[in-house]
Amino acid sequence: MPGPIAAIEQQAGATVVRLQGDLTVRSAGALHRQLRALGRRRDLGRVVVDFAGAERIDSAGMAAVSLARRRLEQRRVPFEVTALDEAHRAVLAQIERAAAAAPPGEVAPPGALERIGERVLDAAAGVRAFIGLMGETVRQTLAVATRRAKLPAGSVARQIAEMGADGVPIIALLSCMLGLTVGFQAVLQLQRFGAGVFVADTIGLSMVRELAPLMSAIILTGRTGAAIAAELGTMRVRSEIDALSAMGISPVRFLVVPRLLAITVAGPALALFSMAVGIAGGMLIAQAVLDLGPVSFFARVTERVTMGDFLHGMSKSFVFSWIVGFSGAHLGMRAGDDASSVGAAATKTVVTGVSLIIVVDAIFATVSSLGKHYT
Amino acid sequence: MSEHTRSTLLECRDVSVGYEAPVVTDVELRVQRGEILALLGGSGSGKSTLLRAFTGLLPPLSGEIRLFGKSLYDLPHDERMRLLHRTGTAFQQDALFSGMTVAENVALPLRELTRLPRAVIREMVEVRLSAVGLAGYGKRAPASLSGGQRKRVALARASIMDPELLFIDEPSAGLDPIVAATIDETLIGFREALGITMIVVTHELESIRAIADRAVMLGRGKVIAEGTIDELSQSREDIVYHFFHRVAEGSPAAPSVR
Repeated sequence: MPGPIAAIEQQAGATVVRLQGDLTVRSAGALHRQLRALGRRRDLGRVVVDFAGAERIDSAGMAAVSLARRRLEQRRVPFEVTALDEAHRAVLAQIERAAAAAPPGEVAPPGALERIGERVLDAAAGVRAFIGLMGETVRQTLAVATRRAKLPAGSVARQIAEMGADGVPIIALLSCMLGLTVGFQAVLQLQRFGAGVFVADTIGLSMVRELAPLMSAIILTGRTGAAIAAELGTMRVRSEIDALSAMGISPVRFLVVPRLLAITVAGPALALFSMAVGIAGGMLIAQAVLDLGPVSFFARVTERVTMGDFLHGMSKSFVFSWIVGFSGAHLGMRAGDDASSVGAAATKTVVTGVSLIIVVDAIFATVSSLGKHYT
Repeated sequence: MSEHTRSTLLECRDVSVGYEAPVVTDVELRVQRGEILALLGGSGSGKSTLLRAFTGLLPPLSGEIRLFGKSLYDLPHDERMRLLHRTGTAFQQDALFSGMTVAENVALPLRELTRLPRAVIREMVEVRLSAVGLAGYGKRAPASLSGGQRKRVALARASIMDPELLFIDEPSAGLDPIVAATIDETLIGFREALGITMIVVTHELESIRAIADRAVMLGRGKVIAEGTIDELSQSREDIVYHFFHRVAEGSPAAPSVR
């Protein structure tokens, strides 16, 4: 690594910096440190940078010199350059032109109040857009239902396959594990009171009312909600959504309605499937630990779980599916114009979706327990 | 429709467009049926922003845009859509749907907006693809085409409904001169065969000379010149002179005497 590039001498009333050898991208760092150290000295009268010994100089070397000059001039220390050859002058001229063209001052960054205000306005615009999207979706769905408009051929079926059928393996795996875990915990506790047989009630109720709708909705958010946001966001970035609008084709009808119709079918279907697999998982535990056969297990489940419980679970699942569908569509359609905003839209969809699902689940639980029986 | 032959298809009355701050203000503009108007200006002069306003994507900050004699942004949503069905737009990025084949892309407006039988649609798409020099490319995915080919597919899609007015954003930007000339010929063909009026955003001098009847030039946030191509290329207004004679910014002003 190069050592000192410049010899610094004191002459009558002036500090002379004699540059030596090549001043290029390899040595500019060292030169910058030397000049900065010089600039910190309090006793500077006048600084002269002598280019006589300098050979090749590139933009990095000249930037080090021009930085030093700017700092010294701010401190009102006179600064000169001498003995530049043709090539040196050309490089220096580039840098001076850039300095002359620099904007006079930067706009002050917004203060805290201003930032809060912007956030509030953004949020308000987001809520307005969200309500607008829901309204437009309902309007377009009605138009399709009354045959005043049509959906792109095959779009709903394809979406149902992607959202529902392709999600079956992961839902099966996770629901079965959940059934096993809950079943095992329940058996351990209930056995202490000699009430092991009630494991069927526990599994049946918790899967149907709570766990299956919740679990399937969370997986739906991660798989489908994020996919909707990313797809629509990418279409936004590639101006495909603008192209639809300019053609006079409603992007909501073309893109959002098929996805929402599909998720309305796929979400509850997955929840139903999750209920069945979860209960089957619990059945395995009952068989293994309690030697409680499938027939008597299933008999207990059907006796304990009412139609009301089932409808409670299924209606939650509908609401959760719409939460996932609308958050994905809304955030995807509102994605910005760059690649990172697509990722951000997908992430936000998952976070918003899961949070809303859990909040709404809590509301369901509260309302239904206030309503009547939650025995 | 003979009384429409010289009618005004698009009219701007004192229009300002922009996102938060205006980009272009005081635009007064009339486009007559049958003409090809070039919208010129340097990068960032607001050409594309103005075009977005014409295509119903960006309401103007003030003023009125009249399309086919109706105020575009004062119409209810459905009527505005119907008005836009009479136009076509080719975007700067080709904006082809990546999940569809070339033929499906071109057929999209027909499939969505008409009730034509599939066979007729297929035939129309084939004819239009060969008009833009891409016969037999229907089954390909847009991603497998070159930039120039994608632009031509976008033109085919934008023109498939035989629009009365076609908006084209930078048809030949970034393409080699031969492909650019092919696209210019396609556009001229559209006008001759289909009588389509066009507004073309561009800064390719060659294209402008080849296709445009008239040009409007934007600069400094305003319309700074308007006229035929000959008139503009003889203009002594600084920006217009620099533009037509490829002079760098900050160079001496246009000579005041011819």
